[in-house]
Amino acid sequence: MKKFLAIFMTVLLLALTACSSSAGNEEKKSTDKDVVEIDFFHRWPNEPRKSFYDQKIKEFEEANPGVKINVNSVLNDSYKEKIRVLVSNDDLPHIFSSWSDSFAQNLVSSDRIMALDDILAEDTEWAGNFIQSQFAGFTFDEKKYGVPFTVDGKAFFYNKEAFKKNNLEVPKTYKEFITVLDKLKDAGYETPLVEGLTNGWAISHYMGTIFQRVVDPSVTAKDYNVETGEFTDPGYIKGLEIFKELTDYMGDLSTAIDHEAARNMFASGEAPIVYMQFAEVKMVEDQGLKDFGFFDFPEIEGGKGDSKALTGAPEGWMLSKNAPKEAVEFLKFLTSEETAYDFTKTDGQLNAVQGAVDEGNTSPARLEAYEIVTNASATTPWFDNAVNINIADIFMRGGQTLANEQTTPEEIMKEVQAEAKRLKK
Amino acid sequence: MQRRKFNIIPVLFLLPSIALLLVFVYIPLIQNFYNSFFDFSVFSQTKTFVGFENFKALLADKVVSVALLNNVKYAIISVVLQVGLALVLAYILEDKLFHRVAPFLRVVYFMPVMISISVVALLFGFVYNPQMGLLNSFLELIGLENLKEVWLGNFEIAIYSVIAMSQWHSIGFVTLLFIVAIQKIPKELYEAADIDGAGKIRKFFSITVPQVKEAIFVNTLITITGSMLVFNEPYILTNGGPGFSSTVMSVHMYQTGFVKDNMGYASTLAIIIFILTAVLALIQIKLSRTGKDD
Repeated sequence: MKKFLAIFMTVLLLALTACSSSAGNEEKKSTDKDVVEIDFFHRWPNEPRKSFYDQKIKEFEEANPGVKINVNSVLNDSYKEKIRVLVSNDDLPHIFSSWSDSFAQNLVSSDRIMALDDILAEDTEWAGNFIQSQFAGFTFDEKKYGVPFTVDGKAFFYNKEAFKKNNLEVPKTYKEFITVLDKLKDAGYETPLVEGLTNGWAISHYMGTIFQRVVDPSVTAKDYNVETGEFTDPGYIKGLEIFKELTDYMGDLSTAIDHEAARNMFASGEAPIVYMQFAEVKMVEDQGLKDFGFFDFPEIEGGKGDSKALTGAPEGWMLSKNAPKEAVEFLKFLTSEETAYDFTKTDGQLNAVQGAVDEGNTSPARLEAYEIVTNASATTPWFDNAVNINIADIFMRGGQTLANEQTTPEEIMKEVQAEAKRLKK
Repeated sequence: MQRRKFNIIPVLFLLPSIALLLVFVYIPLIQNFYNSFFDFSVFSQTKTFVGFENFKALLADKVVSVALLNNVKYAIISVVLQVGLALVLAYILEDKLFHRVAPFLRVVYFMPVMISISVVALLFGFVYNPQMGLLNSFLELIGLENLKEVWLGNFEIAIYSVIAMSQWHSIGFVTLLFIVAIQKIPKELYEAADIDGAGKIRKFFSITVPQVKEAIFVNTLITITGSMLVFNEPYILTNGGPGFSSTVMSVHMYQTGFVKDNMGYASTLAIIIFILTAVLALIQIKLSRTGKDD
């Protein structure tokens, strides 16, 4: 019996190891030489985008016999983790979605991403179709490593009815904005402005825009770069003071809710102003609020930055270095005017392809948003993507602490300066 | 010949578990020590040797002291409530008076333990919600509006709100362990005490407590070690916020490593957590041995 057990165990062990090794090999078999396989990885396993892309893949495969597309998708945060793992070895998919700025830069630093300049230069008709300002987030060392697809921007959404009832005008300057908030408060709104401060990124979006308005662009350009960052400009302290002033209108509860709750408060009419992304327009519309408009973050008096720039960053597509030319074709197909038009019609999010957004596939509110995006003089990346995450984290946590009145802007900046010094090494 | 065969079989049986332990516990542990001397990111394959820099950073890191303090608060409150209160609860449930309803109450107290902690944390997110949360609505209902709070958004209160949820979740488990221990106490002791005219409180302190001494030790140590390793509750409820006010060690480690991409320093934090829990585990082993000698 003992002998039997021993043999049994050995066999079991062998079987286990055999199983695991064979499972590893299976993925790599591509037998048919005539068929080109493209690995396609995106981050929308949820509807409506999953079916949208499945449909587009089918269309592409039908139009291009001999091409097989292996699609894979995981959601947002998991996508970030998975792509990090994939980029550190040779299994990087041929074509995949990416955020812009620091996320893209991290991927590019792996040296496995294809620079697209030659491809863009070859097909000027396709390349000219994009809203050119949206390439900025994918350009590193003057090379373009991605093409933008969805566009987004951040603006104050306001409840038109509340403004009309209290005879309020859309504020043009920061001072006017504060007057508007005061009047709304007097009119009985407990939280004239609201934000879910438990979400660090929501804080970083505010700060990014405020710093962009207040601080000289050449200073931020220097500070946002890890190698040269110092954060000694007094503008940052002024910026944090402005943020603090705004949190005073958000009430106590803002420190305990998330952005979604803030959005719901806006959609239910409880809060008249929220700072939101255009990607959220459809969600507000779906909740039944129709009569709302947007205004860009107002000009801050005495600010040294560009007051017409829009905070917002595109998402787009990247190719890996070993992508076959069919993958390039697929990329062109994905970003064609026709696909982009269908995309916005299906999903609601705006896209960076010219002529692919009009009355036919979007609502008046979203069209208004689209115009803000296309008319912006420049786009400022999301702050948490623009600076090193260690710096961004101090600002985000600091923002929560400020709202709780536990610290001062000066203390936060001291911490930031120390961290910037540490990162420089 | 016969003897040698005898030796191989136990080794074979041990082999899979040893291999698994090696791969998943010991090798990563050693690797973690090694990693703590480097500065590296998940994105790049290069590691820079920094010597004891990470340990120096540890001393300068203000968040570590906040996090450790929060862990200690967690431990103290958990010991008082989960061990102290749970023992009283177990004693009451085992009392003759509650003989009929005890099984039902046991289920009631044990129920939270069976719910996944992530679910509990999400539920308590609603309980603590400042606008429509159960807790604030309840306070309003009984006329205690002035006690209403922004439970998870307030600097001083956030960590206690997290701890409170944890107590609600775990007290049933410890109670059950104590019930088992109390049921093992010989009935004669209580009968003798009855004859001597001892009251219920006297019996609790003179019989129950000394008799379940060992269970108290074990439960205390389980609770303290658990408090040092706690992650889910603060991570889901507050993500360590507002600011760093409800951060604990493991949340700090996670954020340093996986959010701020500072893997070397995160390894250093992991070592601190390891040392803390290892010391506690040693005490636990030591104490349970002396228990047997009694």
